[in-house]
Amino acid sequence: MSSTFLPCGKYHEKYSQDHSWWQTTFIKGKMIALFAVVLILIPNVANDYWLSIFNILGYTILGALGVQLLIGYCGQLTLGHGAFIAIGAYISSTLLVAFPWPQSFHDMGIAYPISIVIACIASGFWSVLFGLPSARVKGFYLILTTMAAHFITYKFILEQCAVSFTEKGNNFSIPYNHTKLGPWLVDSISDVYYLMIIFVVISTVILANLIRSRVGRAWIAIRDNDISAEVMGINIVKYKLLAFFVAGFIAGLAGVLVVINAHMFNIEYFEWFLSLWLVGIILIGGVGSIHGVIFGSIFMVIVMELLQTGVDYLSYDIPELLQQYQWHYLAAKLTNLSTAFNYIRESVFGLLICVFLIFEPHGMAYRWQQIKNYFNLWPFSY
Amino acid sequence: MVVSKKTELKEGDVLLKLEDVHMFFGKVCALSGVNLEIRKGEIHSVIGPNGAGKTVMMNIINGLYRPQRGEVFYKGEKINHLKPYKRSELGISRTFQKVEVFGGLSVLDNIRLGRHIHYRSGIFSGSCYLGKTKKEEIEHRKFIEEEIIDLLEIEHIRHKPTGMLPYGLQKRVELGRALAMEPELLILDEPLAGLNLEEVEDMARFILDINEEERWKVTCLLVEHDMGVVMDLSDRVLVLNFGNTITDDTPEAVQKNQDVVNAYLGEEDLYSTRR
Ligand SMILES: Nc1ncnc2c1ncn2[C@@H]1O[C@H](COP(=O)(O)OP(=O)(O)O)[C@@H](O)[C@H]1O
Ligand SMILES: [Mg+2]
Repeated sequence: MSSTFLPCGKYHEKYSQDHSWWQTTFIKGKMIALFAVVLILIPNVANDYWLSIFNILGYTILGALGVQLLIGYCGQLTLGHGAFIAIGAYISSTLLVAFPWPQSFHDMGIAYPISIVIACIASGFWSVLFGLPSARVKGFYLILTTMAAHFITYKFILEQCAVSFTEKGNNFSIPYNHTKLGPWLVDSISDVYYLMIIFVVISTVILANLIRSRVGRAWIAIRDNDISAEVMGINIVKYKLLAFFVAGFIAGLAGVLVVINAHMFNIEYFEWFLSLWLVGIILIGGVGSIHGVIFGSIFMVIVMELLQTGVDYLSYDIPELLQQYQWHYLAAKLTNLSTAFNYIRESVFGLLICVFLIFEPHGMAYRWQQIKNYFNLWPFSY
Repeated sequence: MVVSKKTELKEGDVLLKLEDVHMFFGKVCALSGVNLEIRKGEIHSVIGPNGAGKTVMMNIINGLYRPQRGEVFYKGEKINHLKPYKRSELGISRTFQKVEVFGGLSVLDNIRLGRHIHYRSGIFSGSCYLGKTKKEEIEHRKFIEEEIIDLLEIEHIRHKPTGMLPYGLQKRVELGRALAMEPELLILDEPLAGLNLEEVEDMARFILDINEEERWKVTCLLVEHDMGVVMDLSDRVLVLNFGNTITDDTPEAVQKNQDVVNAYLGEEDLYSTRR
């Protein structure tokens, strides 16, 4: 908060003003405008395709928030965050479809919220379980234990065991009339959009509030210097595990959205690349910043979407055109591109990370801060 | 056996006691049978050449190291088994020889972290940032501004990231952070090392203020090489050499002690005062 300069001639008179998020009327207006766009404009203007892109953006943000909390704020390197999203997705959907709920629970819309809460708590504890080694190991070694979390969850639990847990196994669809939150049937893509907005806003607010109060400061202290953190009275094991729990809980929410956006549970979404992808997002957006999560997610989701559109265009629309002119060979070549897209996705991702680490090592959030400060101080830059 | 924070000691009672403390690192004997009694209200200094074991002794007192033999008593009760964060709850705070500030946080947040044990909000109240948390943040901010920032004269840098500050200011912030805990015993590990003359004078004045002012009255354990400052400030001085105690006496007696003079013979330039 205080890292942004106030415009010239503005001062705080109370501590509470200095502690608040939106410190000037202008910023308050800006935020209200943003909410208007997100809550009114987008759902009315965007078509289903774009809404589903926004939903993907939503759960990407939620996943990246957890990674940001662990890596950016608490200094606990993790490369297995996809596991906790997967657990949230799996438990919420399996509970909903396979648990013998009385029909009245479905009708009253209790079954789904209960499943969501249980799933989030479960992925929170699942995350704590794999965070336990952080009491003993740091940095590089922790990367390995969190990667183990991913492989145990994906390869062992979801691929091998899930098939025997319930007859639904690890690939099933969610009946449309089941996803009822109280009286609200979360059904169409715009319902999912609103649910996504609720989850994202709540999680962001919670995290931002934690960061500016006691718990979050303890996390940052552990990141910056764990020895003096402990000497200052911080129980570092407790706070590390708390960070893993909160990150896992938010990952659970992301998992719930992954499932409901597709109306199915499919384990293929939770490949290990997801964990890497989330870390990449915070690298690009900016480590140690909530803005960074949002910028990074928007950037990556949109770049990938544009890439997808471009490849689709090249591999379907243009070949059709070429066929008309009897250029069969070229058309066939281009069509093959669509199968190559998976690799392109990964290469572009790698390339982007390199580019950002070289040219913008502090991430997009840092640049944003610079631009904001420039305009706040303009025209007298002192 | 729980050491209660509320145990009130009178001036002159033994606050912290080391009894026959031994510490080995492999074959290196960093401390061999050190005894120490710090009385409430005093400034007790520890001097000795580099590698004498002074920092090891401080680490044992606040729990970063566990001695292989010997006892640590705080307010008459054994605290050997307590972790560092528990000891800070009892009122032991410290600064480090090499500054160990939270570089990514602002000066204000560093000092807030020093008050971690006095804040109350947890994960739920913190995530809402209403009522309790909001009120407590303002109360503590008031305390920090009025008591710490004023005392240490760091108003101008309160929002600066600590890692970017010059060394002397970082040391001052570290002192502020240690003090924000409102400790009863403050361990200062070479607070003057690496400071220029003006900063040394400021820092010495702060230490004296912290010890003498009615508001603070903090007992200090001071490790320092600057003999002038040590002899001026201290009520007692312990001299260590290769893990052994040479003497533990008043500054006047230490200066006259033949063993100390012998141990330091030919090293006057190193240990002479800068003033
Ligand atoms: N963590 C450690 N591991 C091994 N040896 C150590 C450790 N800490 C201190 N020592 C050794 O203990 C001795 C005393 O060190 P120290 O207390 O830092 O000296 P000083 O009096 O200069 O502060 C030195 O010989 C040092 O090498
Ligand atoms: Mg030392």
